[in-house]
Amino acid sequence: MPEKLNVALAQISCKVGDKKQNINIMKKKIKQAKEKGANLVIFPELSLTGYLNRDLAYELAEPIPGPSIHSLEDMAKKESIYVVFGMPEQSGKAHGVLYNTAVLLGPDGLIGKYRKMHLPTHSVFEEKRYFRLGYEAPIFETEIGKIGLTICYDIFFPEIYRLLRLKGSQLIICISASPAVRSRFFEVFTAARALENTVFLAYVNLVGVENGLQFWGGSRIIAPNSSTVTKAKYDEEDLAMGTIDYADLQRVEVFVPTLRDLRPELFNSLREQAEKL
Amino acid sequence: MTSDALKLDLPSVETRIKRFIKDYVEKCGAEGVVLGASGGLDSCTTAALASLSLGGHKVLGIAMPEEETYNTTNIQHAKLLAKKFGFDLQIVDISSTLKACFQSIPVYDATDKLSKGNVKARIRMVYLYYYANKLNRLVCGTSDKSETMMGYFTKWGDGAADISPIMDLYKTQVRQLALHVGVPAEIVAKPPSPGLWPSQLAEKELGIKYETLDLILFGLEHFMKPKEIAEELNLPIKLVEDVKRRWLSAEHKRRLPLTTKFGYRTVGKDFRLSHTPY
Repeated sequence: MPEKLNVALAQISCKVGDKKQNINIMKKKIKQAKEKGANLVIFPELSLTGYLNRDLAYELAEPIPGPSIHSLEDMAKKESIYVVFGMPEQSGKAHGVLYNTAVLLGPDGLIGKYRKMHLPTHSVFEEKRYFRLGYEAPIFETEIGKIGLTICYDIFFPEIYRLLRLKGSQLIICISASPAVRSRFFEVFTAARALENTVFLAYVNLVGVENGLQFWGGSRIIAPNSSTVTKAKYDEEDLAMGTIDYADLQRVEVFVPTLRDLRPELFNSLREQAEKL
Repeated sequence: MTSDALKLDLPSVETRIKRFIKDYVEKCGAEGVVLGASGGLDSCTTAALASLSLGGHKVLGIAMPEEETYNTTNIQHAKLLAKKFGFDLQIVDISSTLKACFQSIPVYDATDKLSKGNVKARIRMVYLYYYANKLNRLVCGTSDKSETMMGYFTKWGDGAADISPIMDLYKTQVRQLALHVGVPAEIVAKPPSPGLWPSQLAEKELGIKYETLDLILFGLEHFMKPKEIAEELNLPIKLVEDVKRRWLSAEHKRRLPLTTKFGYRTVGKDFRLSHTPY
């Protein structure tokens, strides 16, 4: 495994409902990222289809693996690169069951997926109307490190990040479609989740306007000590590059020993109290 | 709760509104926008933002005076703004259209100010959509959040539009934004009027100053109970409850027409599509 990992944050604007165009955009960005020396390129939440598909989600969703996965797998193999992107996934067992899913591809093809566990259904968000909750938070042991995947609203919940870190994640990726009115929350949470878990965090947000909602970009890589490794532009498309040095993990783990000082006995109480809320 | 609650990050709001207009016009493949240019605060602010967003050559303001409410100052203000922001302005007197319309209505009653006034707003809408169709443009609405929440507009009249860039800003916020983008102070300072009949003034008709109304609406927007709002603002509870009643009863003006459900997916209820798919 390389000590240093070059990551490209592909902060793109998607065309709602147009998978063909979005795949073309992603392929171009993958090529550009590779030319810039990236080992890993990350796209925003639901980047295959755009975020606000609403009822179109049923016709746009695909099983995993499926045609769009195959198309992007070919590109990942050709460029010998790791890719993370988002898509509406159709269950292999029931056509009406969809998930908001993050996919990890590698130079050998599909590695794995994560189905979003926290689906926002408040304010302008209506994800529970369309998607089923995910039930697993896997980590993926790859040639470029141990990687955990999360999606957008998950970042409001420290539990999933803690779990991914305790499972051994070195890098947690958060793909997002966050509107501008919420930018302040993500600025705080990205730094907090990285620091409290002493882990690298790569956050990639959408840009552009969908249905009057303006996505703010601001993608970034946060180091385990909460410093910013790289940050993409606000409100504009960008391909920001950042280098992750896994050697930093050990240094920060000693200086900020949150993992050593964890109190597991609190977790049972946490569960009891949460069930009674 | 004070007026601080309604303070805006003005450069950010300006940028986002301009981006919103440009993005939607481009996605629709339209040549620009047309809007009603009354010379009032809301239409001047919207016209200014649209011009800054698209360029003045893609913005057409239509001033539609009529003899009963003819106001030279408002026409001058529309002209002043068009010159300052470089958009085209056409002045179309709708008096003869109104006269013909009223004469053709068997039950027309000249003393019914409201019914008559609403016709004026709807005739203006007809003109705007004619221009929009003819020129492949969008109709850009100029309603603000205060009047939208209070239902203080004509259904399918001035409320009819393809986009409404300032509809999520209260009147007092529009005033801040207007000054920020360079709308002349004399326009911002004018008492607002829908101009449906002579001497009509919004605050007099609503029975409340916008500075107070906006804070009540802000409280309701944030799920506060009338009692809490009244206590926080030191207002009579009846005033707050009256605003809430009006706020609730105007919902029909903000929605597609109500229907009863038969189908699998029903327009206005559970038929949900994005505004610009594909």
